[in-house]
Amino acid sequence: MAQDLKISDADRVTLSEAMDRLIPAVDDLPAAGQMGLGPEVERLAHEAPHYGDALESVLDALSMDPLSRAAGGFRALSPDDRDNAIRTIEGNMPGKFGTFLEIVYLAYYSLPAVHRRIGWVSRPPQPEGFDMPPFDESVLETVRKREPFWRKTGD
Amino acid sequence: MTTDENRNGRTVDVLIIGAGASGGAAAWRLAKDGFDVVILEQGSWLRPEDYPTTGNDWELKARTSWNIDPNVRGLPEDYPVNDSESDVTPLMFNAVGGSTIHWTAHTPRFHPSDFRVKSLDGVADDWPLTYEELEPWYDLNDRMMGCAGIIGDPANPPRSERPMPPLPIGPDGEAVARAFDALGWHWWPSDSYINSTRYDGRDACNNCGPNTYGCVVRAKASTDVTYLPKAQEMGVEIRTDSRVTEITTGSDGRVTGANYIDSNGKRVHQAARSVIMAANGVGTPRLLLLSKSDRHPDGLANSSGLVGKNLMFHPYSIVTGFLPEMTQNFKGPLGNMILSQEFYETDPRRDFVRGYTYQIVRSSGPGLTALGLFAPPVSWGESHHEEFASRFGKGVSLAVISEDLPELHNRVTLDESLTDSDGIPAPRVEYKTSSNTRKMLDHGIRNGVKVLEQANATGIAVTQLLKACGWHLMGTAKMGDDPSASVVDRWGTAHDADNLFIVDGSVFVTAGAVNPTPTIQALALRTAEFICESRGDLKG
Repeated sequence: MAQDLKISDADRVTLSEAMDRLIPAVDDLPAAGQMGLGPEVERLAHEAPHYGDALESVLDALSMDPLSRAAGGFRALSPDDRDNAIRTIEGNMPGKFGTFLEIVYLAYYSLPAVHRRIGWVSRPPQPEGFDMPPFDESVLETVRKREPFWRKTGD
Repeated sequence: MTTDENRNGRTVDVLIIGAGASGGAAAWRLAKDGFDVVILEQGSWLRPEDYPTTGNDWELKARTSWNIDPNVRGLPEDYPVNDSESDVTPLMFNAVGGSTIHWTAHTPRFHPSDFRVKSLDGVADDWPLTYEELEPWYDLNDRMMGCAGIIGDPANPPRSERPMPPLPIGPDGEAVARAFDALGWHWWPSDSYINSTRYDGRDACNNCGPNTYGCVVRAKASTDVTYLPKAQEMGVEIRTDSRVTEITTGSDGRVTGANYIDSNGKRVHQAARSVIMAANGVGTPRLLLLSKSDRHPDGLANSSGLVGKNLMFHPYSIVTGFLPEMTQNFKGPLGNMILSQEFYETDPRRDFVRGYTYQIVRSSGPGLTALGLFAPPVSWGESHHEEFASRFGKGVSLAVISEDLPELHNRVTLDESLTDSDGIPAPRVEYKTSSNTRKMLDHGIRNGVKVLEQANATGIAVTQLLKACGWHLMGTAKMGDDPSASVVDRWGTAHDADNLFIVDGSVFVTAGAVNPTPTIQALALRTAEFICESRGDLKG
């Protein structure tokens, strides 16, 4: 699935700053870009052709955004204008933007620090699994009172 | 294709195409009676220890290499499907075990009325068999796959004691159940082919959650851990990485075996006294249409013109909400809490015929929660963390599984340009949701919202029609008594070739409104029993 991606150092800076707007700081966690997620997002973009295509397309669009170009680049924009630029891309290319967001979310929500904050176990679901109380038959008390209502066929 | 080598010079009694739900069941039954059986499977054996849920990147794999959509996975053993003219994307998995590797193992049965829709409701056709005729095979399959559940469901006929008690339904299941109770509507713990206790040498479910990416502990019954190992012990040979290109026929029109590309890329022929198609509702018509000959100019077993037609999916609508008092309802099998069949049977007061089931579905891990699972993705920006917190571990979805009646224009054909990795024409699927189905789904959405509101859920979101919901592939080689109006007879024997059998979802006359695999496997066992009892001529 590996593919060559055309991502420049300037793109990497833009990516980090865009991610800061997508997932801002919370509690003791910095924003997504400041957490150093850029390389991980790039790595994930190699996992599937449509991921790489989406990442390249969104970064291209951010660099070509009129507001960005007028200001001298995405990083020169105010926070509100950065959000506006991202929203413009989201509206213009919803499919690719959605895929880009998917990569960013998957990268962010794989971080142990994020897992600790949200209360996830920070381990794979297997092989430990989870404990659950066994089925309690008393919950059937109401529905058991109902008469059979499946349709007879005469067969 | 030129294929001049007959594998080992051997003519097997039964050649089965596909090692999934139906192929596994049929192979096991035939082997019990001493038939010489070979299965050709285009996928390979997978090791449960290697399933993605053992790794930290399991959510990434769920979206890429283990995606439910073969067009996204794009693995060499998959075949692409042109679904550009379909409301629904067909979903399938190619490996030993087939799509039972991926399924939720939610295993309700058809209702008796599902076999009599023409007589009762004046639509489609009646099946050439009844629920009562199929019931012994349902029971046998429940034991072989291992069914957890509980008897007494008022929405269904009485049935045999379940081999295991129900799976835990959890606080989320109980909350939704209370909502159904409050509305006076039916619900019941789902029958599931997942061990709630240790059963048949396999461990109990450890409630990991995302078992749709394979069950590491083998608690979920996929045929690679149920029927097929037992079949192998009785001599069944499974040839993996073997892609069938054509079912071959003789001058008399009867089948003679199959051409396939083996694991070394070599094109070979396997001679057989009979062939069983078990590649399901897209794979089977694809192969039949690829198998043209002088005696079968429109494709094998297609004198009726119905091979590939009447495709049925079960279009899904999804209603999702978030339960405020929940915190960790990612625990437990994803799709195995409870179901409701309050609206299953036809009610003349409604504006549609037939009905639907609600399958209640849990939430999942953090990445999939952020991506929405069955709701829109969590918003980016300043509201992101608050919105994520309102969802994580709290989501519950009502999947509306609607009856899907057969229509000739919904069909599988061969694509003119798209091919698989071996250059074989890929299937093209054309499917439009009917007006009757749409009304049914809308009814299900309205009442699903009522259920979630009753459960005090917030953030309720509706998916009008889930595009990637083609788990159930049915109807494309219909069963019936009339050779001009069906492809196989009541025993799954092709009308056009008495040594060709079809045992997968292709033979469904109608779709019911439930997950079809128990019915598929019951039919496969029944056909295999018929061969054992009545077709001794096929044994060498």
